[in-house]
Parts: sequence; structure tokens; C-alpha cells
Amino acid sequence: MRLIARRLLQLVVVVILATFIVFALQKARGGDPATAVIPFGSAQQRAQFNKDQHLSDPYFVQYGKWLGNFLQGDMGKTYNTNQDVSDLVKDAAPVSIQLILYAQVLALLIAIPAGVFTAYRAGTKTDAAINAIAFGLLSIPAIVLALVLSYYLSAKWKIFTTPYVPLGAGLSEHIQGMVLPVVTLAVGQIAVYMRLLRSDMIATLQEDFITMAKSKGISNQRVLWRHALRPSSLTLLTVAGLNFGTLISGAIIVEVLFSLPGIGQLLANAIVQVQYPMLQSIVALIAIVYVVVNFLLDALYVVIDPRIRHARSAA
Amino acid sequence: MTFLGDSSAAQVETALWEAGPAGKAAKKRLGVGAWIALGWIVLVAGSALLAPILPLKDPQAQNVDLARQGIGKAGSILGGDSNGRDMLSRLAFGARSSLTVAVGSILLGLVIGGALGLIAGYYRGKIDTLISVLFDTMVSIPALVIAATMVVTLSPASTKGGGTHLNRLLVLVLAIGVVATPLLGRITRASTLAWSEREFVLAARAQGSKNRRIVFREVLPNVLPAMFSIALLGMAIAIVAEAGLALFGVGVNPPTPSWGNMIALERGSLAQYPFMVFEPAAMIFLTVLGLNYLGDVVRARFDVREGGL
Amino acid sequence: MLDSQRPVRRRWLRTLAVLTTLGIAVAACGGSSTKTTTKKGQPQAQNEGKATPGGSVTYLLESETTSGFCPPQGQWAISGIMVGQALYDTLTAPNAQGKYVPYLAKSVTPNADFTTWTIGLRDGVKFQNGKPVDGAAVAQNITAWTTGTLFQFVYKNIDTVTATNPTTVTVTTKTPWPAFPGYLYLDGRAGIAAPAQLDNADTCSTNMIGSGPFKLKEWKQNDHLTATKNPNYWQKDKHGVQLPYLDQITFRPVVEAAQRVNDFTAGQNTMMHTTSPQQQDQLKALGSSQAKLYTEGDGRRENRYYLLNATTAPFDDLNARKAFAMAVDRDALIKINLKGEVEKADQPFDKDVPGYLKNPGFPQHNLAEAKKLVTAYKNAHGGQFKILLETTNDPGNIAEAQTLKQQVAQAGISADIQQEDQSSFITTALGGKFSVLLWRNHPGNTPDLQYVWWYTGSPVNFGKFNDPVLQKLLDDGRVATTDAARKPIYEQVNKRFAAQVYNLWGFYVRWVIAAKPNVNGALGPPLPDNGGQPEYLYGRLPVVGLWVKQ
Repeated sequence: MRLIARRLLQLVVVVILATFIVFALQKARGGDPATAVIPFGSAQQRAQFNKDQHLSDPYFVQYGKWLGNFLQGDMGKTYNTNQDVSDLVKDAAPVSIQLILYAQVLALLIAIPAGVFTAYRAGTKTDAAINAIAFGLLSIPAIVLALVLSYYLSAKWKIFTTPYVPLGAGLSEHIQGMVLPVVTLAVGQIAVYMRLLRSDMIATLQEDFITMAKSKGISNQRVLWRHALRPSSLTLLTVAGLNFGTLISGAIIVEVLFSLPGIGQLLANAIVQVQYPMLQSIVALIAIVYVVVNFLLDALYVVIDPRIRHARSAA
Repeated sequence: MTFLGDSSAAQVETALWEAGPAGKAAKKRLGVGAWIALGWIVLVAGSALLAPILPLKDPQAQNVDLARQGIGKAGSILGGDSNGRDMLSRLAFGARSSLTVAVGSILLGLVIGGALGLIAGYYRGKIDTLISVLFDTMVSIPALVIAATMVVTLSPASTKGGGTHLNRLLVLVLAIGVVATPLLGRITRASTLAWSEREFVLAARAQGSKNRRIVFREVLPNVLPAMFSIALLGMAIAIVAEAGLALFGVGVNPPTPSWGNMIALERGSLAQYPFMVFEPAAMIFLTVLGLNYLGDVVRARFDVREGGL
Repeated sequence: MLDSQRPVRRRWLRTLAVLTTLGIAVAACGGSSTKTTTKKGQPQAQNEGKATPGGSVTYLLESETTSGFCPPQGQWAISGIMVGQALYDTLTAPNAQGKYVPYLAKSVTPNADFTTWTIGLRDGVKFQNGKPVDGAAVAQNITAWTTGTLFQFVYKNIDTVTATNPTTVTVTTKTPWPAFPGYLYLDGRAGIAAPAQLDNADTCSTNMIGSGPFKLKEWKQNDHLTATKNPNYWQKDKHGVQLPYLDQITFRPVVEAAQRVNDFTAGQNTMMHTTSPQQQDQLKALGSSQAKLYTEGDGRRENRYYLLNATTAPFDDLNARKAFAMAVDRDALIKINLKGEVEKADQPFDKDVPGYLKNPGFPQHNLAEAKKLVTAYKNAHGGQFKILLETTNDPGNIAEAQTLKQQVAQAGISADIQQEDQSSFITTALGGKFSVLLWRNHPGNTPDLQYVWWYTGSPVNFGKFNDPVLQKLLDDGRVATTDAARKPIYEQVNKRFAAQVYNLWGFYVRWVIAAKPNVNGALGPPLPDNGGQPEYLYGRLPVVGLWVKQ
């Protein structure tokens, strides 16, 4: 219980700090919502706008008002079209969640067999070759990959031609439309996950219980997949989990380059249009996801390997 | 530094280092790969450093006849860009900007993040909680949001007194440095935590050595390899991050070339003049590859697990 | 066997060599471009066969209209205008001769001195909510314009608006206003919305109810706006077939120009627009089997220019403005950045506009003279001649800014480049502290439509020039009743701009609209009541006549 209480407190502190930092950064930048929203309005119209949106309130009052509303589940409205921010987020969140989730699944699907295999064959030429490919993948800038994939695979060779469609509007079109953005986001992860698993796996394979298992004549396949993989996958799981919170920056660029209507695109627009409630609400949501995922991972640790509990609490 | 899908690269290293205090450095010789990687980095850094005195064309001079000419045409080696400027020369001068931003921002992150991480990891308790929450907060905000907003704030448009702004490279060093700080800080903290538990540190404490002395004499030297390996990786990510910022118009300010803004500004040319995108992309690819590899070599040399192979 | 005992040896040399070779091989595949010439006048309708109803089209736009689609409050650029004309109708519309003819209105008639305008409406035309497009509704729209965000400055000259009876609206103006029919179109921005939409200020920008050919289905900002056929639309084609032909039209903003071409190429039944020569060449390279191209001809094109701030140093000094104009070599700029494919402009007006002059006397590139002026300016102002070139972060614009910087440096002017996102850029323009903005404006052939951008004290006279001579000419031009009377006045306006160098005119913007080969009818059905072919004006073609060959 104490752990949960502490985590909850941490969540609140991180979210408040994060949103305040973003609020302060935007204020320092000096963006003026009134001119961004009604550039051709008269002075009175702008004054009225500032009054309606509480933008003439003192600095901390403005932030406090947003926080108060957010805590009551009200994310405010967009300045320009008067839509509920929560509606926009509801539309955009699935796109980003799908993008990140698919990218993670794809990366893990490739990285886990590759990691296990290279650990098993550590030090061989195959290991070196796969490692080299992994390093290569890690070193491709996502922006270049996005440009190249969307020109060659979509426009030129017409392999993936479908734009984004929601999952509900047809599974095969949905998958088609997501392939290129997902690959762009996944490529960097593959190498990271693979190397992580390989490294932990090598350590595990040197442990006594593996030697024991082998001496009992259990097949290599079984030793690898049933005995060694689980204790070796902890750090991998941690990093993969943490990435749900942090991949959003990568998602912004992928979403902009592939015109995907996700949270990243919304966030970029919120900055450009100086939409304080929208920007802070999205940042708050991302921060919440980040902290909650962190918390869940801690809990997961205990389930997967109770021995970790001690080591982890020391760290 | 969670840009561009390379996000977890730093986390991985953190995780690898966190997994336990490393043993003694394995006495391995540098492989051929490491020498090649090192050679490439030295070559790039050298041409960046010496670009002004190398026999290169003026990277800003525009020549109609060179505009959009491919590799080897119109007296060029690597062709000309959309503004009729020599690609080779811009790649060399671009290396200057890209490497300045990368090295500068990571040094900044290393100094601030490293100091905070050492303090948090060594003293623990309240100060550790405070610093850790600060790091968590920074990491929970999308890095692009922080960096892009910082650049816009520090080099403003005319409405906010533009034209008198700080040098853009310095601004980028600050912006990317700030987002690098918590990541470099976290790994320093984790490594410090582990080393501070070791016998020789405890012994030094028991003998009544001053904390500062213990941190600098006993802990820091052991934490440094991890920091160095992460720094190499961080530089790789910073080079790519600048390209991402350039896409939003907040990278190195044209006409000063950087590999990142060369790609971003010629992104519309890919279909017709692919070399304009692929040349700077190849520079980034090879350099990032080299830095990643060297980072891994450093890590592997201090990694007890692979050391036992 | 678990053979974890082998030493680690990685074959890095070989891998690197392979990767390097790959990189160079890919980079070596250069491209080539095709040259084109400027087309004369409006594009001609091709024989595409008989239109068949049904099907859908996806139109790829250059931006999202974040201000929404409430016509009086909207600040629509070309993308907003495209969506607007699908949902709304305008009272008038321009034909291929550039004349504004009645469209949703049945007639638009002035009194003898052009101060009272009687707008006659068509019987039985209904908004998409079933309510009639009557005098009261139209009067409510025009009244709303006079208080709208940008519109309030545009329609300042309106005095009273009265719904005389269900089919008539009377508008009186403060001064004679012969150009009024053009203001009932306003480049497609003056859409007529249902009172139910206008009445609710909270939803006006998202709940669109027009009388247009398509009815809003859903708008997901930054992703798509879908509109379905309005089955009760008031127009039929010449065979009596109900318009529009399409069952559905989808607008999709794709801001990245290269990505827009990719999506156009990959997609089915797609259309798009672009001003980028790079992307236009890419479209041309697709060939006629993959794309039909509609290139805007000369006559009424938009102007690309460099907007100078006449109220702050250095461009509050006429000689500094002249120096800048003479330092820039626009011919070289066009060759380098626009592949030589656009036409240089020395004036705000294109060839069909009253006021166009072969040679208005605009300063030409003259490096020696520029240097002299710069030196003189520097001597008088503490040795400094610094400017900031501000632009949106579009790659084409930035490339242009770099050429400008490079060119003016040779004359001793030191320039910095500042990239801004679209909304900060407009904020910058309104802030009035800039020195140079890369700008685009002034299409059409009715010079009075430019009044709002140039009158003294107008908030959207961004350069803030305060010129009584120009003001008098603009006022005279506004009340001039014939082209013969108008022409000499706007020629004076033209010359005044040349002498005062308030802007450095650059070149005429060339728009290209592309459609998939099976997408027809882009040039539109003739305007009602023998009004002629509709006009192709800056990136805008009518959507009412689009049809898809099945």
C-alpha cells in the first residue's frame, strides 16, 4: 500500500511539473493565441477573445484554472473551432496507440528470435552478421526512412497505397495503411531490443541452472525458449514498456510525414496554434501514461522474478 | 532524447549498465571494426574541423549551372543542390554544424546530468528522490516539444526582437543538451548507486574519508566508462535529432548547412534528385553507425557478461 | 550444442564495405526533369465524354483550415476555399472572361450611381437543412460579414442591408462600388450559410449548412472532411441530369508537398493542387496515363513578392527599398529556384487586369547602383544595413530566401533567415516589426478587390505604408464606373508601387491542379443562365461538375 501511495504521489508531482514546464515554456516563447486564432480580428475582438479564454488572468491563475478543469475531467475547448479537446483526443489517441503498439509488436517479433539466436550463437560469424545488420538498422535516421519508404513503396512501386483508415473501417485496409509508418517506427527498436535480449541471454546461459538443464539432456530448443528466455527478458520488457510513454516523440515525426491523424499531429498543431488547454492536456496525458506504465512495470517485475524485488528496491 | 524512434537506444544502454556493476575491463584488443569506426569518425571530424582550409568550393556560392546537377556533373564531385551549391563542400561544412551540435549538447548533458546523477546516486535519500522526480518529469514530456519550443524561444521572430538572437548552433546545443540531461543523468545515477555499494567505497567511508573525495576518487572513475559509452551513443542520437528539428524549421538555420537541414530542406527532391537526400543521409548513417559501434565497444570492454565469453 | 565459448569476432570491415557500396549505388540514381512552357489564358475543356453520376473523389489539399468553416469568421486560404465551394454557394461567380456573373443569386443589379445593389434570389433554392435561401437568410449572411474577423475590413464600405422581400435583398454602400459583384464572391470566401448555422456562434465553424452541391458528413481535423451529394441541389447539367455527379467528395490535407504527390499517385480517384515547381515536374513526369494536369494560364495570376516594412529601419527609407530591389537578381532567382519556369513580375497586376503596364518603371537588378545606395545608407545610419528574411518553413520558400540572402550580400546588405510556422508567420506580419516577408497574394482581375490590403490604416496593409497619393488613387479607382476610367487610375497605382518600392514584386505564381485520368469535369459545367465557363483562379477549380469514369 505504501508503495502505491508513493507512486500516486509521484504521478501527481510529475504531471503537475511537466504541464507547468510546458506552460511556462509556451509563455516564454511568447506565442499569442489571439493573433494565432483570429489574426485578422480587430483589437476589440482580440480583447474579447482573451477575456473569454481567461488569457488576461494572472500567470498562475491561468495555469491553476486549467489544472482544476483537467482534474475534473474537462480538457477545455479548442480556441479556433470551439470543439472539446477530449473529443479530438478520443479520435487521435487510437491512431497513436495503434502506431506505437504495432511498431512494438513488430520490433519484438523480429528482435526476440534474433536475440535468442545470436545469444545462442554468440561469437560466431552469424552473430556478428546479425549484429551488424542490427547496428545498420539502428543508424538509419527515421526521417530518411519515412521519405524513402513513402516515395518508393507507395508512390513509385505502388505496393502500399492505402492512406490511414480506422480499424473499424476494414481490417485489411487498416493494416495496409499502417505498414509504412509502423515499419519506420519499428526499425530503430529492433536493434535495441535484440541487443538487450542477447546480452541478458548470454548472462543467463552461463548460469548453473542452464548447465544443469543441459546435463539432464533437455534439447537446446527447450533450454533456450523454456528455461533461458523468461529470466532473460526482464530488461527487455522494461524498456519495451517504457517506450510506450517515450515513443510519442518518434510518433510525432512519423505522423507528420505520413499524415496520420494521431496525438503527435495534434500535439504539433497545439504548439503551432498556441492552444494552451490542448497542449497541456495532451502533455498531461502522456505524462500519466508514462508514470503509470512505469508503475505497472515495477509490479510486473515482482510477478516475473521475485528475486528482483530486492535488487530493484535498492536501485 | 526520445526522438525519431531511436528513443530507447539510450535506455538500452542504461539497462545494460544498470544490470550490475561491471567487472574489470576485459583485456581485449580493439577489433578491425572498431578501428574502421574510429577512422571514419576521425575523418569526418577532421574534415569538419579543417573545412575552411580544405580545397573546397564556397558552400554558399550559388551557380545556376550547378543547380540540380548530379554526381560528377558540372565540375562537381557530388553534384549540386537545389540552390546551385556544391554538395561536397556543404557536406563538409555540414559536418561542422552537425558535430558541433552533437558534441556540444552531449557534453552539456553529461556535465549537468552527470553531476546530478552522481549526487543522487551517492547521497540517496531526499535529494535522490528530488532529482529522480525531476528526471522523470523531463523524460515524460515529449523531447521534441521541449527542444522545439526552446529553439523558438531563444531565436525568436522579428516580433520578439529577432535578428539579435543567440547563435543558432548554441541554441541547439542548449535545447538538445536539456533533453539529453535526464537520460545521461539517470545512467550516471544507476551506475553510481551500484558502485557506492562496493567494498572499497564502504571502506573509504569507514575510514572517514570526505564524501567529495570518495565521489571523485573512488566512484567517478568507475562510473566514467558507462558515461562515455552513453555519450557516444547520445552524440549519434543528437545528430539525428537535429534532422528531426530541421523538419520543423527549428534545426540549424539555413543557409548554414547541417546534414539534418540538408535532408529536411531537400525532402521534396527525393523523387527527381535522390542524391540530394541520400548524400547527407549516408553521412548521418555512417557516422551514427560508427558512434553506435564505438559506444558498444566501450560497453563490451567493461561488461562482465560478455567478458566471460 | 550451446557453443558460447567461441571468441567474439565481428566482421565489421566487410559489412561496412557492403553498406557503403549500397549507399553510393542508391545515391547515383539521379533524376531528370522535363521543361514546360507557360500556357496562355484559361485551360480549354477537353472532350471527356458524357458525364455519369456516382463514384467519389479524394482531393488532397495543401493545408487544414484550422479556423473552421464559418464563412464570416473563416480566414480561408486556397484549401479552405476548395472545401467552402463544395459546401456553400456564392451569390456570384467569375467566368473564364473574369466577369462576375450571378450564381446562387438570380440577378445582381446596381442603381445608376452604383450605391444601391439589388440582389434577386432564385425561387425554391433550399439550404441542406431544408430551409429556403431567401432574402432574410442572405441579408443575415451579408450583415454577418460586416462584423466578421477579416471580412469587417473588406466590407467596410457596406452601409445598410435590407431583405426587401423573400426573393430580394438590397444593399446600400457608403461610396459608389462598381466592383461589388466581385465582393459577393471574394475569391470563393463569401459562401452563403444557413441561418441555423450562423445563429449558433459555438458551432458555426464546425456545423456547416450551406446550399452547396455537397453536404457535410464528417470533419476530422487534420485527417479528412467528407461531404456527400446534396440530392436536392438546385443545378442540373445541360442534359437535365441532377448535379453534382459524385456521390461523395473527401478533402484530405497533406501539408508535405512531396507526400501529397505520393498520395496522389498511390491513391484512386485523387486530385491535388500545388505551386511547387519541384512537385509540378514530378507530376509531369508521371505522364498522361497517370495524371491529367490543369495549369493556370496567365492573365489573373497571384503574385509572389517580398513584402517590405515601410515603417521600420531600414525600409522606412525609400533608397533602402530601392537598394534591396536592385540588389536582387530576380531572373537568376527564377532560374535557380523556380527552374526558370515562372514569369517575372514587375507589378501587382497580371496581364488581364486594368492597370497592367508593359513597363511600370520598377527598379531592375543593378548591382553597381545597389552598392552605391547601400553605401550611402550605411554612411547615414551608423554603418549598418541589416534585414531579416522571414518565411514559413516550406522547403521551396527557404530555398528562395537563401538565394535572396546570397544576392543581397553582394551589395553589402546583411540578411538573416527566420523560418516560422504558418500562424506565427501571420502574427509576425501583423506585429509590424519585420523587415521582409516572403508573401503571396493579389490574384484576380478586379483591382478594387485589393483595396483592403493597401488602404492606409488597414490592419492587413502589412507593410503599413501610409501614402496619400496611393490612397486617393485607390478611392478614385473604387468609384470609377467603367474599365476605360479605371485603367488609367490603376496604371498610376502600378507606377506608384514601382516608384515607392513598397514591395519587391517577384514572379507570377503558377498553380497546377492534377487529377487522375478517370476523374473528369474539373473545369466545371457552364455557369447558370449562360454565364459562361467558370474561371480557373489560383489553385481553385469548381467541384460541382466532377465525375468519375467507371
